[in-house]
Amino acid sequence: MSNYAISSVSWGFRCRRWALWLLVMVTLPSLASASSAAGDDAEAWLSRLGPALNMTTYRGVFVYSRGDQVSSMRIAHRYRDGQVEERLVQQDGASGEIVRKGTQVVCVLPDHGRVKLDQVTPSGPFADTFASQRVLTRDWYQPQLLGEDRVAGYSAKVVGLNARDGDRYSYRLWLEKDTGLLLKSHVRGQDGSVLESFQFTDLEITDSLPDSEFEIQLDGQEIRQRVPPATAGEAPPPRMDGWYLGWRPDGFLPAAAPVSGDGQAVAFSDGLAAFSVFVEPAGRLDMPTGASRIGATTAYMRPLEAGEQAFLVTVIGEIPPQTAMKVAESVAVQDAGAFGAAAP
Amino acid sequence: MDERLKESLSAMLDDQADELSVRRVLACPDQDEVRAQWQRWQTVRDLLHDGHGSDGINTDAIDISAQVRQALHGPQVDETDAATNVAVAVTGDRRKNWHWTAVAMVFAGLLVGFGMGSSWGPYSADGYVPVVSEQPRGAGVGAGVAVPEVALQRLDDAQWEQLSRYLLEHAQHNSVAAGRGAVGYARLASVSAPAY
Repeated sequence: MSNYAISSVSWGFRCRRWALWLLVMVTLPSLASASSAAGDDAEAWLSRLGPALNMTTYRGVFVYSRGDQVSSMRIAHRYRDGQVEERLVQQDGASGEIVRKGTQVVCVLPDHGRVKLDQVTPSGPFADTFASQRVLTRDWYQPQLLGEDRVAGYSAKVVGLNARDGDRYSYRLWLEKDTGLLLKSHVRGQDGSVLESFQFTDLEITDSLPDSEFEIQLDGQEIRQRVPPATAGEAPPPRMDGWYLGWRPDGFLPAAAPVSGDGQAVAFSDGLAAFSVFVEPAGRLDMPTGASRIGATTAYMRPLEAGEQAFLVTVIGEIPPQTAMKVAESVAVQDAGAFGAAAP
Repeated sequence: MDERLKESLSAMLDDQADELSVRRVLACPDQDEVRAQWQRWQTVRDLLHDGHGSDGINTDAIDISAQVRQALHGPQVDETDAATNVAVAVTGDRRKNWHWTAVAMVFAGLLVGFGMGSSWGPYSADGYVPVVSEQPRGAGVGAGVAVPEVALQRLDDAQWEQLSRYLLEHAQHNSVAAGRGAVGYARLASVSAPAY
């Protein structure tokens, strides 16, 4: 190109244009075939993601941000004798800890005044089904191998997962080249803006970690949670007594049936994104109607009257506000009596 | 009021404000002045657009921007829902008080604040994300549907507690449901972080 630069402007311009055409003509056919190959390749990389999340042994620090919240956590993760052990420690604000040993999860999270964790009913069975399934649902996301990058000192393959419809967000994943471990991820809006990001800033992938890395070291309010062993392809039946969803975005399947006080909740996931629908007698609490957003997470609330009773419908998930609203508005209560000891 | 603040406020009036501008306006210690300026500009805008004025103090006379009408009518929310949109007690005939409700929404938003996840007009707090849906394809939600927004900071303690309980529960499902380990836990821990 430097030859063109020293020529006259018009000549240089024409040459550049000609060179560009040449480039397009030469690369177009190869691009077309490469794009499908890149898709397959991306899929191959994604198929490594699930196992890598569990079976890699590593420790490090990652940064997570959504909306205007940024937080970092130290993580140690090992896979030994077929069991996953994990310890996460919050690095900023008040300290908190999450320790997982196989099917046991212990959260020691601080009370920040506004979140009363003792009032939080630990959700019902964790749905481990998706973790064991293929993460990618090609029907809903278009996989694409975008190239290579380096994150926290490790070489990474960059895989894009573009939403095929407007009901969900797109993703960009950075997978470590040797293990397939997720080093970085973006949740992206329809305009390409990054709504949520996760990234290791410090990482050591290793063969073994000492037991001491996995001991709870904080005193505080504990929430114990038993993760049921993964049962292949079998999601727990959702609790939807007395109400139903008139609409849900394609590809979202029931994923978990948490316990939610008097009310009922069902979680849906398409393998990457998840949303939960909560239907609860409104009681005396008067919630506004509308969507709140924290990064990629949308919370859509709306009151619902069924018979004599007022209900609160809340949809929370990593889905666009329009999708959350449409889901929430499709909720209908058939049998108010199914909500048990509901407040009048 | 300095020029920068005026610029931000003006941008809000034109639905062109980004998150930073909104925050700048909210951070202004003299909210009375901000409100007064807003009212003046609204009045001027009314005069320019419709040729009729208002006294600038009577909020009932202030015309509400098209966005608000769209926010109320766009999502095909019925009158009842539209009225409950604002946590402002509206008694009597809802139809009659519709204008007041809309005014209240605008001013409540201005007074109480735009929290995380709130926005002005079609811009969201996450930065330039249009709330009016842009469909890459025909599938899914109808295009052009405006979603009413609720500022987290407008929720009272009981409301916030309820919402954060839901957020935490969702994060718990998510921590495993989506099969992405640490990301799910990070979301969970993020819920327990203070909301400011």
